[in-house]
Amino acid sequence: MASEIVFVGWNHQGSDLDLRARLAFTPERAREALEGLFREHILTEGAVVSTCNRAEVYGVSDVPDSFEALSAFFSRFHSVDAAVLREKALSGRGEATVRHLFRVASGLDSMVLGEAQILGQIREAHRRAAEAGTARAVTGRLFQSALECGKKVRTETSLGSRPVSVAGIALSLVGRIFESISECKVLLLGAGETVELTARLLADDGVKQILFTNRSPEKAKALATHFHGWTVPWEERAKAFADVDIVLSATGATEPVVTAAMLKPFLSRGRRRGPLLILDLAVPRDIETKVDDFSDVYRYDMDALGELACDNTRDRMADVPHAERIVEESTQKFLCWLAGLAHVDTLKSLHERFEKARCEEIERYAGKLSRLTAEDQAVVSRMTETLLQKILHNPTIGLKEGDASERLTRAAVVRALFKLDDRA
Amino acid sequence: MFGTGLANALFGLVALLCYAGATLLYVVWLRHPQVSAGRMATGLAGVGAVCNFGFLYARSVALRTVPYGDLLGSMALFGLFLAAMSLILEARHHDRSLGPFLMPVSLFFLLLSFVVPGGGTPRPELRGSVFAFHVTLNMLSYSAFAVACALSLLYLALGRQLKAKRHNILNGPVSRFPSLSYLERAARTSIGVGVVSLASGLTMGFLWAYRVWQEQHPEWLLDAKIWGAVATLVFYLWVFVRAHRGASPRTTARLAVAGFVLVLLSYTAVNLFFSKVHSFT
Repeated sequence: MASEIVFVGWNHQGSDLDLRARLAFTPERAREALEGLFREHILTEGAVVSTCNRAEVYGVSDVPDSFEALSAFFSRFHSVDAAVLREKALSGRGEATVRHLFRVASGLDSMVLGEAQILGQIREAHRRAAEAGTARAVTGRLFQSALECGKKVRTETSLGSRPVSVAGIALSLVGRIFESISECKVLLLGAGETVELTARLLADDGVKQILFTNRSPEKAKALATHFHGWTVPWEERAKAFADVDIVLSATGATEPVVTAAMLKPFLSRGRRRGPLLILDLAVPRDIETKVDDFSDVYRYDMDALGELACDNTRDRMADVPHAERIVEESTQKFLCWLAGLAHVDTLKSLHERFEKARCEEIERYAGKLSRLTAEDQAVVSRMTETLLQKILHNPTIGLKEGDASERLTRAAVVRALFKLDDRA
Repeated sequence: MFGTGLANALFGLVALLCYAGATLLYVVWLRHPQVSAGRMATGLAGVGAVCNFGFLYARSVALRTVPYGDLLGSMALFGLFLAAMSLILEARHHDRSLGPFLMPVSLFFLLLSFVVPGGGTPRPELRGSVFAFHVTLNMLSYSAFAVACALSLLYLALGRQLKAKRHNILNGPVSRFPSLSYLERAARTSIGVGVVSLASGLTMGFLWAYRVWQEQHPEWLLDAKIWGAVATLVFYLWVFVRAHRGASPRTTARLAVAGFVLVLLSYTAVNLFFSKVHSFT
């Protein structure tokens, strides 16, 4: 059996969150898995890509049914039913493997089309495999090519350059208005999950001045204590608008909790300095739409943020054909390189096999040939060599002809016909 | 125009071509942000600024005095200051978005300096450091006001798109503008630089005029140009103070744009048609 690039994986398309969580690899577990796969001679090269949405193994295998062997191995490794793994798995060999990894690197296979983190995760997987010595010639080149392909897709298309989540859009809006979010003073209205998550993200981004206000002051106080912020009495929420850069509101109120009339004394002419960004994440709205009339106030509600996200998703979708073309070009380029490798390998094996047969025959007739003079023996040897060269001339040329896939197919046929992979 | 020598003409022509190329490439970059187009635009703007300096230097050697005692020279200096400020802001903030707006103004003024007649051999009273400082500082202030105007126009355009919640605030040319707060701060700083240099330049001008014109043109204090410049200084000082005291950035931006129209009027129409003693002749 000839070596072949293979992959098997479980991702968001075929596996639910629970299964993906069970199959996730920590760096140590990924290393252990690769060591096991090498020990059991399932893979001769390999790398593990593990993210929250996918657990995939790429490598080179000599095993005839590599999918079965890999599934069985991971069933034992993760203690998961083999039948479930086989049912939910995505797998491929040769060209399909290359195309899949390149699509993954480009963000075309991601849950959020074009997401950027995957490129870093693939780089990390490659680095770890290279350090462990499991990413050799083919796998190493495969991952390098995937990274190049992913970068090219991001440079030449809008995939990845336009945020498509509400959080991403909100963050981009902050970047359009303020130089640095860490210098901003932020007021958070409400005390629910959204506000808590936002406070955590803001604290992670280095925002030092976070103000909390809520109808129930105890909850605001608890959040302020947890995030080292301050509280503003609910009755003074409108007044606080004059003193902050960003307001994020996500209360559960059924009526607007901040109206233009409430803000007028604090936002009218000369009362505040610089722009104010209001992100109203509540449904129904917390902030009255008339607030838009104030100068230098930029209010975005869920409708506006959702519309921007939809527009960006549409833009990303429009660029998918271009990205797929880049993936296809990169795949063919890699296969060309691989075919060159297979062609050299196959030719070498073919010549060695024929030369071995020639030597065996010469050896077999050594007794009879000994009656000939030394000069005649040399003529016979040269004649058999020439004969071999003539026989191998056309197969040698044939293995170099055609596109990458054809060359790979021909190489596989030659290997099978002449049993080049038999170790005997 | 080309009477100041071959080197002068050559430097001027190369600067003009570079500014034109840089303008074109900056606009291309703004529409399709390719790294190569942006770098080439910056490179051409840099070469253009060096040649613009060479143009003024060659003129200075030929005239044996500061090369901007007439309208031609002052316009070329204005073009140089604008190009230099655009490059400084670009290097300081790693941001090319001002180039497409400032470089055409540099090109326009350098081109204009080729069209307006030169002053010929400068009069003896136009030599000396006081006069040189007066013109240099005044041109620096005009350039600072031009930069403030460009920044303010960007502020107004971006603010308008943000208010309208347009899709292009996150994509396309508008998405490559700097943030609102940067534009506001940089415009305020530019106005500050302009006010200080105009105040210093006018002081130098008053000193020079008192020494040179007091006897020949005792009515110099009533000249339209002088009052135009003083009015410009007072206006910008007022804009700067109210901006510092927390006035609406949008109103400040509008005033900065209007102020630059005043500067242009004072620099061109008032100089050419209304001023009697301050007429670049």
